[in-house]
This record gives sequence, structure tokens and C-alpha cells, in this order.
Amino acid sequence: MKTQLLYEWTKKIHMYSGLLTFTAFVVWGVTGIHAVFLAPPGEYKPPPVSSVREIPYKAAGGLDDQQLAKAIFETVAIPLAGGRYNVHRDEQSNLAFNVFTINGGREVTFLEEAGIVRVAHRANSLWSYLSSMHTAHSRRHRLTASVIAWGYFNELATWAFLFMTISGLYMWIATRPGLRWAQLSLGGMGVLTLALWIAIR
Amino acid sequence: MFQLMRNIHLGLGLIFVLMALVFAISSLVIIYRPLLNTTPQDTETAVRLSPDDAASPRVAARVLMTAHGFKGDLRQIQEQGDTVRFRIVRPGEAAEVEYARSTGEARIKKKRQGALETLVHLHTNHGLWHEYAPSNLWASISLLASAGLLLLGATGIYLWFAHHSERVIGGILLGSGLVFGLVTLYLTRLQQ
Repeated sequence: MKTQLLYEWTKKIHMYSGLLTFTAFVVWGVTGIHAVFLAPPGEYKPPPVSSVREIPYKAAGGLDDQQLAKAIFETVAIPLAGGRYNVHRDEQSNLAFNVFTINGGREVTFLEEAGIVRVAHRANSLWSYLSSMHTAHSRRHRLTASVIAWGYFNELATWAFLFMTISGLYMWIATRPGLRWAQLSLGGMGVLTLALWIAIR
Repeated sequence: MFQLMRNIHLGLGLIFVLMALVFAISSLVIIYRPLLNTTPQDTETAVRLSPDDAASPRVAARVLMTAHGFKGDLRQIQEQGDTVRFRIVRPGEAAEVEYARSTGEARIKKKRQGALETLVHLHTNHGLWHEYAPSNLWASISLLASAGLLLLGATGIYLWFAHHSERVIGGILLGSGLVFGLVTLYLTRLQQ
């Protein structure tokens, strides 16, 4: 009786967890397929520039490049900016740096003589966007309400996924443990996965 | 039809159960990393390469792989005068090699991660372009697991819908999750 009750409730929660977090699983599945076709290190080609905006800016005279990059970064207020990197001087000796965002990188260049900051946006594909979003959780990408909300949802889905993996195994053992093809599926892939783990370690 | 879907759901779940655990546990490691002690183990060794082996970074890397137990992809070769640097990388371990071409003296700094961080490396291991075969095999299984996840979702939806008594609660949960997820994704995408 107790076992039956445990099984019934496990099945219910397994089903409810999957239904509630179904959107996140679709995002993960799509991201996992997309990841296989990403370029190897060193061969990444950024997407083309999709838009450029120019902002009048006058630099304070006493700032070094890092301090000025920080001041420009704060002024241009790029939506969902995840931080600046690669602060450098370009071929024309203009101060330049990159900004990562979930919706595609920005290349920021300060044309000091003209008093203009140029922000070039390389909008990413929907697949790259979903790939960035699949990494969000309660401590990462805490930028705006929508991405924070997604991060909590994504994290909940991670726990749900772990629960469904374990509860699914339990439900198989509780109902149809004798199925030969099921045993072979688990055993065959289990051996392959463990062998790979041993090889890599 | 119900029985077929039930069997597909079970079969996919069992085939990918270990991969699912790898992805789930590694995701939790990423989220809760500040609370976990995942410091890698660093070691440093010295090796003398023969003049023939030291002549080319690829030959030197092969010697280190075959005779000294280093395994992985050869990456980031840098040559500056007499000094040659490269990395041999695989999930869970990275060796930074620096040697002088003239003397063949090589210094190798090895960073070996624990099991939890290795799971994270496996999670992010992608692409079929690796020189290290196990990484390619792992990426292939990850691809199948990702497709399997989508199929598990689709068959799961079918199985739920076949349970007439669960349609209302399930419909509310599915609808809530879809609306919440899609709206947050859409609003975030608008913030260009």
C-alpha cells in the first residue's frame, strides 16, 4: 500500500515537474544540438555588424585607458552588458574595447578627436541567444527582471531534471524491471559512458 | 500507440540516464561552485626532449602524449625565438608546456581537476573537431542526448495527455511554464 502510494506520487511529481519546466528542456535540447556545430577554438567568426550608434562624448584628461574604458562603458549603458574586455588601441590609435551581452557583442570605439563613441552591435542568432540563456541561473546574468526570472526558472528546471532522472529510474524498477531491451539499453550505454569517463580521467 | 510512446520514453530515459546525471550534476556544480571546493591539483614536471623532438611543437606534443602520459587536444602553439609554448587539453586536465628549442628542456605545468569540475568540462565539451578521440565521442553522445531530451519531452507530453484525469492540472502547469518561459525569453531578447 505504502509502496503503491510512493509510486503514484513519484509518477505525479515526475509528470508535473516535466510539464512545468518543459520550455527549459526544449532550450537545452536545442542548445545541445547547436553546440555540436560551433566552430573550434581560433576559428570563431563573429556575426556581421547589425547596427551602429554614435554618442557624443568628451573624455576627462586625467584618465588612463582602463579608467576611460570604464567611464565610457558606464556612459553608453549597453542593455544586458555582461562586462567589458579586450581594452586596446586600434590601428588608428583609438581606444577600443568589447562588451559581451546575451544578445550579441558590442565593439566600442572612442574617436577622441571627433568626440564620439561608436558602438557597433553584432546581433547574434536565435541559437546563440538561447545558448547564452541556457547558462542563466540564480547567480548568473542578474541584469534585468526578465533575465533574472528566467535564471530562477532555469535553475528550477535543473533540479527538476535531476529529480526526473532519478524518479524515472525508480519508476522503471518499480514497474517493469524485467524488460530485457530496457536492461540492455541501460547497461550498454552505461558501459560506454563509464568507459569514456575512465579514458578521459 | 500509448504503449509505443511509453516504451520510447522509457528506452530514451534509460539510454541517456548517465548523460542526464552528468548534465544535471555539472549544472548544479556551476550554480553552486562558490560553495564547493573545486580547486584543481597543480603539479610541475621537467622533461628533456631530444633535438629532433624539440624541432617542431607538434612532434614535441606527440612525444609527451606517447611517452609521458599526456592526453588531449594540442592547442595554442606559440613560438617566440627559442621558446615554444603550447597546451595539451582534455576534459578535466590541462598541461601547459614550455620548452627551449636549443636545449630541449621542457617545463610542464599540469592542472588536474577533480571529478566535479571534470563533469563541468564534459558538459561544455562540444564539437566534432577534436584531435582527442574521446572528446569527439563524448560530443557525439551529447548530441544524441540533446536530441533524446527533445524526444523525451515530446513523448512525455503525449503520455501526460493520455492520462485524462491529469489534463487539467497538467495543462495549467504546462501552460504556466510555457507562458513564463516564453515571455521571459522574449522580453530579454527585446533588450538589444
